[in-house]
Amino acid sequence: MNKNEQSLQRLLAAARKAQPAPADESAPYGFSTRVAALAFAQGGRPSAFARLSLRAALVAGALAVAAVAINFSAIKSAFESDNAAATDDPIAEVVNLGT
Amino acid sequence: MPDDQSFDLAGCLGRVRRRDQTAARELVEHLHPLVIRIVRAHLPRRVAEEDLAQEVFMKMFTRIDQYQGAVPFTHWVSRIAVTTCIDHLRAQKRRPELRWADLSEGEADVLDSVITNERDVAPDEAASAKELVNKLMDQLKPEDRIVIQYLDLEQRSIAEISQLTGWNPTLVKVRAFRARRKLQRFYRELIEKERV
Repeated sequence: MNKNEQSLQRLLAAARKAQPAPADESAPYGFSTRVAALAFAQGGRPSAFARLSLRAALVAGALAVAAVAINFSAIKSAFESDNAAATDDPIAEVVNLGT
Repeated sequence: MPDDQSFDLAGCLGRVRRRDQTAARELVEHLHPLVIRIVRAHLPRRVAEEDLAQEVFMKMFTRIDQYQGAVPFTHWVSRIAVTTCIDHLRAQKRRPELRWADLSEGEADVLDSVITNERDVAPDEAASAKELVNKLMDQLKPEDRIVIQYLDLEQRSIAEISQLTGWNPTLVKVRAFRARRKLQRFYRELIEKERV
């Protein structure tokens, strides 16, 4: 063990002699009541509103998918007509001629 | 450790799982000394011990259904407490390098004493020695700090540290070896720096 290691060991030995300040280890007044109340408030079953919100989100998602499926052909044709319109666009043709 | 013989821990846990708030209060009061000792030993700067203890208990209640009884309940709670302290120590910035100028008069005197070894550190200087060691440990990573605290300051065994932290004994030994080497380096850097 070199000199530095020895002096660090002496420092640690001196630190071990420090008595911890006498401090009360019991729970402060009202602490356990507060913690128990918070724990059960957070850890409880989901509230009726939360359960209803989840169901509503699922139903809304299903309706959105169904709406897209039912109107798929209309959406597809709208995209195709957009593309056709773009090719008929005289300005686009001029730009294409320029390049 | 709390006195498990006079306290019906198993019964209390059963009642807590059935959401009995009185049992939850009793459990907090029973475990508070254990938790607060861990929190005080590893309290980060600028964090109130009561807030940290509350966080430990909240985690305990959130995970209480996961407790299978593989380890004593007090060890399980200790691990939650140690992990919570590590998370908070990680969040605080590590102290940059320590210089003589950062030391109080008492800490500088203690350092002089241990370097020259001309006299023993007086008992009334022990608090300064502890403060100086804390400042050195503030430069370590949280896990290294905790292992030095338990092993070199509280002189706990590897098995005890393993129980308290949930780290296996080999990991504790490896961490202790690395942590001591780093502490040694920080100490050497401090004493080799020019004294202002």
